Amino acid sequence: MAGKKLAALGLALALLLGMAAGAAAQDAGALVQASFDYMRGKASISTCTMLIHRSDWQRSMTIKAWTLGQSDSIFYITAPPKDAGNGTLKKSDEMWMFNPKVNRVIKLPPSMMSQAWMGSDFSNNDLAKSDSLIKDYVHTLEKTDTVDGKKVYFIKSMPKPRAPVVWGMQKLKIREDHIFLQQDFYDEDLKLVKSLTMLDIKPLGGKLYPAKWRMQKADAKGEYTVVGYEALEFKDSLPESRFTLSSLRNPRF
Amino acid sequence: MLSINQRMAWRNLWRNPRRTLLTVAAIAFACLLLVFMLSFQFGSYETMINTAVKVQTGHLHVEAKDYQDQQDMRLVIKDPAAVAKVMRATPGIEAFTARANAFALISSKERTYGALVVGIDPEAEAKVSTLQSIVRQGEYLKPGDAEGALVGRLLARNLGVKLGDELTVLGQGRDGSIAAMVLTVRGIYSSGIDEFDRSSIQMGLGSFQANFSMEGAVHQMVAVCQGLGEVAGAKSYIAAHLPPQKSPSLAVLDWMQLMPGLLQGIEMDLVSGIIFYLILIVVVTFSILNTFLMSILERTHEFGVLMAIGARPGRLSKLVFMESLAMTLLGVVAGMIMGALVTWYFQVNGLDLGVQDVMAQYGITGRMYPQLSWISLTAGPALVLVMTLLAALYPTRRIWRLKPVEAINYV
Repeated sequence: MAGKKLAALGLALALLLGMAAGAAAQDAGALVQASFDYMRGKASISTCTMLIHRSDWQRSMTIKAWTLGQSDSIFYITAPPKDAGNGTLKKSDEMWMFNPKVNRVIKLPPSMMSQAWMGSDFSNNDLAKSDSLIKDYVHTLEKTDTVDGKKVYFIKSMPKPRAPVVWGMQKLKIREDHIFLQQDFYDEDLKLVKSLTMLDIKPLGGKLYPAKWRMQKADAKGEYTVVGYEALEFKDSLPESRFTLSSLRNPRF
Repeated sequence: MLSINQRMAWRNLWRNPRRTLLTVAAIAFACLLLVFMLSFQFGSYETMINTAVKVQTGHLHVEAKDYQDQQDMRLVIKDPAAVAKVMRATPGIEAFTARANAFALISSKERTYGALVVGIDPEAEAKVSTLQSIVRQGEYLKPGDAEGALVGRLLARNLGVKLGDELTVLGQGRDGSIAAMVLTVRGIYSSGIDEFDRSSIQMGLGSFQANFSMEGAVHQMVAVCQGLGEVAGAKSYIAAHLPPQKSPSLAVLDWMQLMPGLLQGIEMDLVSGIIFYLILIVVVTFSILNTFLMSILERTHEFGVLMAIGARPGRLSKLVFMESLAMTLLGVVAGMIMGALVTWYFQVNGLDLGVQDVMAQYGITGRMYPQLSWISLTAGPALVLVMTLLAALYPTRRIWRLKPVEAINYV
């Protein structure tokens, strides 16, 4: 009798604990989703400069970007003049590039998705699979901490089984007001590859927003890319027609 | 003047001329085989290397340090003319050319692939590599053709392009700017090396430099030497005379550094060859040991008589050993002479392997040429000599155990 009771108690305890763990995962997942929505907005129009730094040279360009929902975006290089008009369209997992000089659109083949975008430390995948973090990963809360009077959540994100992911693990730091502070990218061997740090948080586009995004390679301290927002405007919606191949072919910025 | 022992040994040899000749022939044949096969192996390596070198790599490269490992667009030779001047003055160099490479997206109407775009100087390239001769469809690039491109057979198939079709190339220039151009397929090449045919296109160097913002720079200066033997000398000459260039500094690489896989393949083949030769030598040694042993057993009675009239076992051993030595030396020398003659004949005339058509398609003549060298001539025979002499020691031990009275009565 006693044994049976004990077993029942054990089962109940296990169920309870399991539910608690499930709830924590759900909480972390909800937090990531909420932060992602906060950072991305429903739709946005922005202008930013991208500075690519290498040990012996650096180069910067200006980019104008439109985003809609979680996965559609279109952006053009507006400076330097030599590269102005080069555009990139991203819809779900696919990417196209447009070059005004030859007036052609090229679809990026899957084999090229891990290559650097325009020689920066952002890969095509970083851009194309931006919503992969939401779709393909399971998030667990590791710990919380207080930084500058604000609560910061440390979240570990592991890929779902058989999800078509690029990273073997991601680690996130999210502030209580849903602002991403850091995103670390690990390979399959759980070795750090690169880190994205959000800096200079200030009012931008009607809400608090990090104005500087810095992507740092883990194995080369002298190599990083900084994206700085010059203008950012959040919208409720943008016309779908903005995010089409014919739109890509006719740069308007 | 021969000593009495030497004279006796020589006479003993020809007491049974058939056996002696057979043994000598066995040793000679083994030596002949070793000389020829080793020469043939060395010759085939030279052919392999020259073929691999001719398709693309060349014997020597001058390029920015680390370019070989990193393939970074920015690691360039800023002043190719200065390097060209050094190469022109280098003894042993047959021809050289400049190349520039960029990884880019190549797109046809339907498909896009990532591939290496190589900027070449058509005239100089034709003297350095087999590129011109492996263009199977269409024609080779004409000097000054800014819009033409040569495409590898497999890449052309993957892209679904034919002669005259347009390709869009989208990549990144040396300064990080976007390089985009439309090229027309002038020719399709097939080197037989799938990797090369699947992942590269060739275009004019001038047009490459303009589109990829190279500012006159190139990535590689590629040279071929008159023969493999000239490579080391040419390499050190160029290294000593390289024009100074800071960040990145320049380096000279030879084919072994450029194609480490080829060298490893050769080393592996050589090792398996050596194992085969060792087995051959062991077999020969045992058959010779057998002959030596037989000649002693057969002469037990004779040795008994010699001992009865006062010959010491040491003297008899010496006698037998001298007989073996004479036989071995005869065999080895004959084998070396015949091996050298056979090898030399094929070295001059070539050995037709009967696969001419297949190989010729890839710019290789179907004939193989063995390479006679001091190593291939002496290494095998020397080993045979040592092994047979060791084998000759064993039978002499029997002599020490002979008892004269028993030996005399031995039938």
